[in-house]
Amino acid sequence: MAVELVAKVRRERGTRSMRRLRGVGGIPAVLYGHGQENVSLTIEAEQVQHVVQQGSKLVDLRGDINESALVRDVQWNAFGTEVLHLDLVRVSAGERVEITIPIVLRGDAVGTRNGGLVEHVLHEVRIECPVASLPDRIELPVQSLDLGHALHARELPLPDGARLLIDGEQVVVHCVQPVGDEELATAAPSEPEVIGRKAAEGEEGDGE
Amino acid sequence: MALMPKRVKHRKSQRGRLKGNATRGNRVVFGEFGLQAVEGGWVKAQTIEAGRIAAQQYVRGEGRLYVRVFPHKSVTSTPLETRMGKGKGEPEYWVAVVKPGTVLFELGGVTEEQARVCLARLAHKMPIRVRFVRRRPA
Repeated sequence: MAVELVAKVRRERGTRSMRRLRGVGGIPAVLYGHGQENVSLTIEAEQVQHVVQQGSKLVDLRGDINESALVRDVQWNAFGTEVLHLDLVRVSAGERVEITIPIVLRGDAVGTRNGGLVEHVLHEVRIECPVASLPDRIELPVQSLDLGHALHARELPLPDGARLLIDGEQVVVHCVQPVGDEELATAAPSEPEVIGRKAAEGEEGDGE
Repeated sequence: MALMPKRVKHRKSQRGRLKGNATRGNRVVFGEFGLQAVEGGWVKAQTIEAGRIAAQQYVRGEGRLYVRVFPHKSVTSTPLETRMGKGKGEPEYWVAVVKPGTVLFELGGVTEEQARVCLARLAHKMPIRVRFVRRRPA
């Protein structure tokens, strides 16, 4: 589902002016694709946060520019607390796009009642999909998942016309026996082996 | 048993400097929740192990804990009551060099409430300030 974003065309560039822009509640963005010119944009931080938290992929740009776009990339700060920049790519309704979609598990697996542990192995999947049926997330029901069983990428409920771009045999989620408190009791040596040093030489044999 | 490398190129290393924030290993990758370092520092292998045990005891059989840091760096020291000089001391313990933003531990297969309690127990063991983080949206 497309979310509306109010975008203003931006002329300032560079690190310092972008820092100033973020200081007053704007997020720099860029719009490109379809062989047209790149456009630098400013979008309000609140709106960007909303889009990112929802996981929306498709946005309708309003304001200085009226186009549909796909969120191609989100840049975060080192702590993952603030969005620094948004990459938007132009799309049209009939187009097919390649995109990474999060996988969300739904329900309680049967295996957990038998003492199993549900391990979510694959959190995101890359698909090719028509823009019209682009999902925000793929929901995978796991109620039938029993101990020792797994659900694979080919079993994901994809939207109409979508195609997997990864190996269908890849495990998405499995129910396993919980591993005990695996103490690293494999008689670890008190000191690591030094690469290139002969075993015959003593500890003091460095001679440097 | 505390973690340490199996093989190393050099037994002893220089101290180095800890500059900047983490640009790698700064997002939750394996689980749903994580413990992120807010400041930098050295985390001893024994501390990592203590944290692992504290968390593992809590999530036993319910969730999966992932340790995202490894002590690659050896720290040397001169024994007590030894005269100065005679070269660099012997390796005493191993540390993981942690930059601000590094995700130290991750937890999967549990609810957020459980994860918060578990990682809070773990956080008490850490010598640096840490915070609870969720998986970032794709």
